[in-house]
Amino acid sequence: MRDFKYVWVLGLLATLLIVFVPIALLVFPVGEEKPDPWTALPPHPQPTDHRALLKGPFDDGPAVTAACLSCHEDAAQQVMHTSHWTWESEPVLLPGRDEPVTTGKKNSINNFCIGIQSNWPSCTTCHAGYGWKDADFDFSDETAVDCLVCHDTSGQYAKTKTGIPAEGVDLVAAAQSAGIPTRQNCGSCHFSGGGGDAVKHGDLDQSLFYPAESIDVHMGRHNFLCIDCHRTTDHLIGGRSISVSVDDTNNIACTDCHSTNVHADERLNAHTDAVACQTCHIPEGAVREATKMHWDWSTAGQDLPEDDHSYLKIKGSFTYERNFVPEYHWFNGSSDRYILGDLIDPEEFTPINQPLGDLHDADAKIWPFKVHRASQIYDAEYDRLIVPKTAGEGGYWTEFDWDLAARLGGEATGLPYSGSYGFAPTEMYWPLSHMVAPTAGALQCNDCHGEGDRLDWEALGYYGDPLVWGSRTRMQKIGSR
Amino acid sequence: MIPTPLRHLLRALGLAIVLLIFDGSTDASAQTSPFHPTFPLLDAEGVNVLESGLPISTMRTCGACHDAAFIEGHSFHADVGLSTLTDPGSSASGRPWDIGDGYFGQWNPLTYRYLSPKGDPVLDLTTPEWLQRFTRHAGGGPAVRNRDGQDLSALTPSAEDPETAIFDAQTGQMQAWDWQSSGTVEMNCFLCHIPQSNNEARGAALTAGVFAWANTATLLGTGLVEQEENGWAYQLQAFDADGSLLPEYVTVQDPKIRNCAQCHGYASSDAATALALDSCDAEDWSTYTTGQVVSPQRLADSALNLAGKEQLTRSWDIHAERVLSCTDCHFSLNNPVYYQDASQSRLEHLTFDPRRIDLGEYLYRPLHQFAKGNSAQGMLAPELDDTLRRCESCHDYDAAHTWLPYQQQHRAAVACETCHIPELHAPAVQTADWTVLTTDGSPALDCRGIGYEDPASAIPLLSGYQPVLLQRQNADGSSKLFPYNLVASWYWVYGDPQRPVPYRNLEAAWLDGEGYHAEVVALFDADGDGQISTPELKIDTPEKEAAIAARLSAQGLDNPRIAGEVQPYSIHHSVAGGDSAIRECRVCHGDDSRMGQSLLLAGSPPGGVAPQFVDNPSTRITGDLITDEAGRLLYAPSAAKDGLYVLGHNRVAWVDLIGLLAFFGTLVGITAHGGLRWVAAMRRPSHATRFERVYMYGVYERLWHWLQTAAILLLIATGLVIHRPDLFGALSFRYTVLIHNVLAAILVINAALSLFYHLASGEIRQFLPRPYGFFDQAIEQAKFYVDGIFRGREHPFEKTPDRKLNPLQQLTYFAILNVLLPLQILTGLLMWGEQRFPGATDTVGGLPFLGPFHTLIAWLFAAFIVLHVYLTTTGPTPMAGIRAMIMGWDEVEVHSRSQEAKSHT
Repeated sequence: MRDFKYVWVLGLLATLLIVFVPIALLVFPVGEEKPDPWTALPPHPQPTDHRALLKGPFDDGPAVTAACLSCHEDAAQQVMHTSHWTWESEPVLLPGRDEPVTTGKKNSINNFCIGIQSNWPSCTTCHAGYGWKDADFDFSDETAVDCLVCHDTSGQYAKTKTGIPAEGVDLVAAAQSAGIPTRQNCGSCHFSGGGGDAVKHGDLDQSLFYPAESIDVHMGRHNFLCIDCHRTTDHLIGGRSISVSVDDTNNIACTDCHSTNVHADERLNAHTDAVACQTCHIPEGAVREATKMHWDWSTAGQDLPEDDHSYLKIKGSFTYERNFVPEYHWFNGSSDRYILGDLIDPEEFTPINQPLGDLHDADAKIWPFKVHRASQIYDAEYDRLIVPKTAGEGGYWTEFDWDLAARLGGEATGLPYSGSYGFAPTEMYWPLSHMVAPTAGALQCNDCHGEGDRLDWEALGYYGDPLVWGSRTRMQKIGSR
Repeated sequence: MIPTPLRHLLRALGLAIVLLIFDGSTDASAQTSPFHPTFPLLDAEGVNVLESGLPISTMRTCGACHDAAFIEGHSFHADVGLSTLTDPGSSASGRPWDIGDGYFGQWNPLTYRYLSPKGDPVLDLTTPEWLQRFTRHAGGGPAVRNRDGQDLSALTPSAEDPETAIFDAQTGQMQAWDWQSSGTVEMNCFLCHIPQSNNEARGAALTAGVFAWANTATLLGTGLVEQEENGWAYQLQAFDADGSLLPEYVTVQDPKIRNCAQCHGYASSDAATALALDSCDAEDWSTYTTGQVVSPQRLADSALNLAGKEQLTRSWDIHAERVLSCTDCHFSLNNPVYYQDASQSRLEHLTFDPRRIDLGEYLYRPLHQFAKGNSAQGMLAPELDDTLRRCESCHDYDAAHTWLPYQQQHRAAVACETCHIPELHAPAVQTADWTVLTTDGSPALDCRGIGYEDPASAIPLLSGYQPVLLQRQNADGSSKLFPYNLVASWYWVYGDPQRPVPYRNLEAAWLDGEGYHAEVVALFDADGDGQISTPELKIDTPEKEAAIAARLSAQGLDNPRIAGEVQPYSIHHSVAGGDSAIRECRVCHGDDSRMGQSLLLAGSPPGGVAPQFVDNPSTRITGDLITDEAGRLLYAPSAAKDGLYVLGHNRVAWVDLIGLLAFFGTLVGITAHGGLRWVAAMRRPSHATRFERVYMYGVYERLWHWLQTAAILLLIATGLVIHRPDLFGALSFRYTVLIHNVLAAILVINAALSLFYHLASGEIRQFLPRPYGFFDQAIEQAKFYVDGIFRGREHPFEKTPDRKLNPLQQLTYFAILNVLLPLQILTGLLMWGEQRFPGATDTVGGLPFLGPFHTLIAWLFAAFIVLHVYLTTTGPTPMAGIRAMIMGWDEVEVHSRSQEAKSHT
């Protein structure tokens, strides 16, 4: 028998393998691993120091853009194909219409400041471009793209009417600070939609610059940037909302990162068929700053005591609410849209952007909405909503003359004005997706079921509380159609 | 002139109205019943009360359609023990003076007042006063009938009869009670079946003794009836022209959580309103006695000052959160929706019997016997015990506990509640000391789970408490550990047969008007400030005891003495979901196990009297009362006495002692032996022994040896962790057990393969002692170890590949391989098998036997290994043996004898 010097190494290895492999197999069973949500997050690119590259001086915004384009040659063209630039969608066929229509800030109506047509300079402050002052803006001018509004990290960049840099902005410092968009960049426009902090969305406000985790678990606890969820490729930023965009594309979902059966509780996982994540995890809207819930334009023009949150002479009276309980509706991702010229019934609430979907729509889930209701100007003879001219010369905000405002607005939109106006109720839906509460703050069973009254089951199409009446699947078996 | 009782009533109702205004829960916003037809309110004669102006008779009003007599006659809520009253001392509780097992007849030290049996010379609580004070009773039963089944209103008033008398505090004498004028209390349908039932107004009417109006008072606030100066006024606008209720006033409903909560404890279905409860208040009875709270609200959202509140994101009760209501489990036993044959009475071939009573029949005669469990405190209606569906009736234990090792073993040992009610966050009563009396007439009370973070603050910090685990016998005969609160109480008893001292005597002994008697102050006021402070209010010396006893004797009570008792209250509500239940093995498997966690009973037992456990048909008290260094009285449960052997918690001291002695004895022995060898070797001139290299161990032999070495060493190590997890805090108990089992499997397989090898190759003969001359050889070998080895003699037996073992080794291995190893494998297998084949394990005595046995053998193995390793050093060089087992090649002495032999060949 040969005397092999290292036989002990082999023996030791064999012994250890025989002992530890079975242990390892049993202690760490090879099984289904919960996907780690962090793996879905896009990596942030290494920042480039632009100080040496962009020395300036720059006369104006377009000069900065030209400098950017000298390296990032395709950037402007990329931006110009996104709705941040066009403010308009691709043509979409809406239910009940023969022709596809385009929608977007460019031509749509809302029930806040109503529409940008005839009011361009003020509204286009937030356009990702420079100089949109009237209907004749040149959408093909690459140097009119505003790179800085998204990429400035100096913190001092600001825009003013028509979207040009405000007085006093140091363009060189801004250009040299170029980096990935932070919460400050996105928030400079999106947190102040509707012309002020927290006015429009109900789930976005300036507290999200530095939120506590109780306000937004993603940004507060995990320090997310907007673009971590609104993932961006070639300047096309993920995400959309039915306030402007009606087609069900370019969506972001919680399930981009989280698994649908993420709950330890089987019962909760069963809910995800019919209930959007947001419904339980965003129990309240406007958790920090009050948001506008109602706007009555008809009371404008009076000399009453003014307050930003209750009455302004130029705008009428408002209601603001904090910690509002959302309204819940079926929503399959698409919405209808009020298109300028559509007839309305002035006695009824006209939905500006009715979410689509119902109990029988397998793609629809119950979603939380902020619903903004308003009383806004309409043509009392032609029964259609009007875009009044509010800002600028002859606008209502200076003249307080609705008739004049309606006429000037009609000229800009091309919709004739009959000369007779009134105020009609409208409602606009804002699905809530931000300000996600930590798990411990999510809704519980009894918020909706039993004595809980968050959901109006019959209005949603159920016979009654599905806890006792059964889910929509069971209802369909009973034959509710 | 308003008669006195009515004046009492008016005053009480004034209070009730004030309460009503401030109590949002009784507002009239209740939904109208979608189903119940409208009906007239009738009086006892069946006349519409709008005509007669008399009190509402529920039996007539509801009885117009429902079989009210059936309902009242089949309801333990009405009967509360009346029909099962016994002679004093024959009840299930074992208290010498108890005359029943229910609310009517069973004495409770927390409520103190004693319902006197007929014939007692000193009357304490009489039926009329019971009605006034025990307002948690829903009417009917003892509120309408006497103990012989006669109508109370037909009784002749007599000051000597506990059913028709009442104590008059002014005269100090018993007085006759006229049931005719007070009326009786019919079973109160409204209390449970309308959403805005006014329990305060009802209680006020009862306390005022205006019994006939109590049920009508329940409707105060519904808009049907109002309280006016001269009595009650039915509100005509709530009725139609025919005298029936208008539909919007018909709010009849199934009992909701709120209805049950009126009498049973803090329970609510309201998650929005921040939960606030008066800490440790007998008003919320079950909360008071156990700390149970039923509410869907998250603990963190409540208004209570809970310790660590932010982290308490669980709800008070998962079932309330999941929108269950009391009646979902405590349903009417003939409710056709819920009715289900008990598994014992179900036919084997039927899993579901679809035949049931019609809904109409059910509504006519809804049985008001409700499904109940078998709680230690609910001793009434034992025939209905465990009619309630238990956890397992709805939940699939196996599916929910796939993560839990030894599922079935855990299931057999502990109740669901034990892990799922890990802690009670609301305070619960701990001690009631009635041997003393505060100036407001209450006993000295101590509660658990409540303290003051800042002594100056008036807001208590609720730290919660962990319940004690006691064995409870279930309906199926099995016995498991359930969570309990134990309430200790001390009180004075007198006479023979003994009775608790009537409250009025106790009061007279202690109090004089608003304050204490001067004599009592002199005795108890230790700091001389003229007051008796809370710490001073305690009978802690024989003098104080004698003085109070004398003050009681002076009132004609014979031989007053202190007695004490401990009443177990089992805990089944306030359930936590899986996330918040106990999931960590070490909570029980460790030195500080829940299983052995003691519960404080009293800071110091009054008069040094050890309390008796109240008898309870289902609860088994196996632990001990212990007194700690501070003189506090505690109950210490014992898992071992409960027949449990909890790994990591239970140990048998003598087993570990023997094991340690064996282990360290061996260690000392070999150290001494080795030391002597070393000394001898130093003294001895070295002489060159001739060695020869022999291939001693084949590859397989070495592999199985070292594999076994690794397995055994790791088994001993992991076994030690399992035995004493507290010494190895960082290691996971769960994984250690798992690894121990895997190693055991490796060991068994390795042993089996090796046995096969030895049998097949014939090597087994090496291990078999040859009988011929065995003892001589063994003695020769032994002599070598005690003598020859020190003299540098040769080993008596040459080690050759054919004969590797000397006689002593053969003997040792024979014992180890035939006795110890099989026993260890067998005991280990049976312990593991408690999960898979519990029958076999239990046959040999279960874990309480196997555990210590397995431990003992493990100790012996450990001792053997020490010896074994030492003896390997007795070869030609100390490391030769070990090297041989590694490399295969051994160096063996060339024996002079074999030299000779060789030279012959």
